[in-house]
Amino acid sequence: MPNSRDDSTPEVEALDRVDTPEGAGPTRRGFLRIAGLAGVAASLAPQIARANGRIGYHAADLSDERLTDLYRMILRIRWHERTMADKMLSDPDYRGYNHFYAGQEAVATGVCAALRNDGPFDQIDVVYSTHRPSGHALAKGVDMRAMCAENDFRATGLNNGYGAEMHLSDPSVGFIGADGMVGPGPVLAQGSAFSFRARGSDQVSVVFGGDGTYATPHFHSTLNNAKLLDLPFIYVLENNLYHQYAHYSYSSPHYDIADAARAYGIPAEVVDGQDVMQVYNAAYEAVERARAGEGPTFIEAKTYRYYNHWGAPGAEVGQLGAFGYDPLAISSFRPEREVRNWMQRDPVDICRATLVDWGVLNAEQAAQIEEDIRAEVDEAFAWAMEQPLCNPEDGVKNVFATGEVPARQFG
Amino acid sequence: MTEKSWIYAVLEAAQHEMREDPAMTWIFELTPPVASNPDMPVINLETEFGRRRVVNTGIDENWMASTVIGAGLAGSRSVTYIPYQGAAMPFQVIQNHAGKLRHMTGGVASIPVVFIIELTGQTPGFAGQHSDYELDTAYAHIAGVRTVVPSTPYDAKGMMTAAIRSPDPVVFLNPAGLRTLSGEVPDEPYEVPLDKAAVRVEGSDLTIVSSGPGMPVSLEAAERLAEEGINAEVIDLRVLKEMDTETLVTSVSKTRKLLTVDQSYYTLCPGAEVIARVAENVEGVRYKRVAFPDAPPPASPEMFLWMRPDAENVAEAARQLVG
Repeated sequence: MPNSRDDSTPEVEALDRVDTPEGAGPTRRGFLRIAGLAGVAASLAPQIARANGRIGYHAADLSDERLTDLYRMILRIRWHERTMADKMLSDPDYRGYNHFYAGQEAVATGVCAALRNDGPFDQIDVVYSTHRPSGHALAKGVDMRAMCAENDFRATGLNNGYGAEMHLSDPSVGFIGADGMVGPGPVLAQGSAFSFRARGSDQVSVVFGGDGTYATPHFHSTLNNAKLLDLPFIYVLENNLYHQYAHYSYSSPHYDIADAARAYGIPAEVVDGQDVMQVYNAAYEAVERARAGEGPTFIEAKTYRYYNHWGAPGAEVGQLGAFGYDPLAISSFRPEREVRNWMQRDPVDICRATLVDWGVLNAEQAAQIEEDIRAEVDEAFAWAMEQPLCNPEDGVKNVFATGEVPARQFG
Repeated sequence: MTEKSWIYAVLEAAQHEMREDPAMTWIFELTPPVASNPDMPVINLETEFGRRRVVNTGIDENWMASTVIGAGLAGSRSVTYIPYQGAAMPFQVIQNHAGKLRHMTGGVASIPVVFIIELTGQTPGFAGQHSDYELDTAYAHIAGVRTVVPSTPYDAKGMMTAAIRSPDPVVFLNPAGLRTLSGEVPDEPYEVPLDKAAVRVEGSDLTIVSSGPGMPVSLEAAERLAEEGINAEVIDLRVLKEMDTETLVTSVSKTRKLLTVDQSYYTLCPGAEVIARVAENVEGVRYKRVAFPDAPPPASPEMFLWMRPDAENVAEAARQLVG
């Protein structure tokens, strides 16, 4: 029963469909089967309900430490977002802007947790991000302090102040980078997958893209060629319902954009993007498939961004711009009811509840972790604000590998 | 005459033409054809003309440009508004089809369409892809496509009307940095020609030539220079193709000193073409060229604002030229 969206799917059925665990020894999945507790079922049902029946429950085999890391990462992304938004609203010295990711944290976290993020550059998996990159960057392992400094245009930032939010890049952790354009990213990402296949590497290339990418010719070119060449490539489509200010029904005839990937002969999963475990499960299988030389996978994560398309310093709550009604959102804008509805299924809450249910954390430990993360985020922003500004004349460097180009603005 | 915003002036032109011609279409993405202005009715092309004629599409600038070309070939005058995020995406089909079809078909094919190409280049912080102003050069290089870049709301409306009525494909560069301008714009339709530069300030000591977003800094520089007793003649190119050589030559024949100002990259910027045309026609001229360095615009405001030509850069270059 592929691609079921039947919210009434019973928990027991979902568990019965899981694959055999790879590892030996007692597993959390086994525990769940034995326990069969109504409480557990009730708490998991909403997350599993939208799962594709063929997805195994690999997250249940993760160690407590790795499961806790998922929670930590979701919180790191969330508090980075919230702190940045607060600074835009309150700190006149803050200059960074952001395409907000809050609400979508479980997608970046779940996907990157299934990737190889440590090691030499020619062995780690790579991620191509979007114009909404800060969550992907953190999840892939980018240093938060360096990213905060970059977002505030500091000389010691991740990219020395040249790139800022839409051009964050850190190849050392396989984060090839953000991209201000919509379209080219997926094609470039499958180009990396092409090289992995050509040189016999088991690396995997992942692209994150929004629902807006569906309309681009690049989307279709990417899927067609990734399939034709059986590339180790994963397309993670974060369907947050809106490309900038327009609902995705303006740009795609599909309810599930994954249907389009299936038309290219690519295995496609629709997952609840608010549930990190579901995202991880789908990503895990996609990575296994890619490493085994069995070609690309398409994952559509149903998710939502809480804030507007983007925000900038000087924002005022309820005023045009960052967090209120947007002046460009004329053709279609988000009903407040829709925003509130999605916030009821918050990725932080869902992850925390799952880990508490599984006995990985208790409420007290979860609260302590959040407190620690907030301190880390505050420290990162404070460090960034102390970093030096760029030297104006460095703007003509880094055009080519060596040297600098002449200044021409003086005639 | 009413004080109107830039975008109101542009959409007023389109609205009038669409009311006159029920076959005319408009395609957009992200940027709805909607504008308001004090004491004027709201213009909303989408609601007024309906979604058969006015289409909000997904992110696919190649489709947008190709579709208006196809519509034009079928006899429908059409406009598409390409936001700056996708300003180069439709290049191929404009260069290879819009620009060549009339000629390749021996004059049989006609493409009466307008590509509004939004250009940025004004806002520090966005870096590279969202801060560049370089495509004026690229589009102006295409044969068979008229490329214009207004710098005032009055010209924006008049050139939009002329562009829509033109039997030729027109690239209408729409500098994002000028969107905040407003000015006196007649309510009635009128045309500003697609082949004439404008002398904005008359002077005899030197000629400053610029276009689009280079105009505000050039005019400000001219004011500073005037206070110092240097009278600059300031020319707004308005049209990159076909460039108005006569106005340039007439001015420089008088001043013998030419300063060009571009927000575009130095190499092959419109000023380079201006200097070449003047050099071919006027003897004994001294030249200077102010432009953005041949580097992508960096995010850091410190670096970007140092690199982007400002009024003081222009004034200082002018002082050196006349000194």
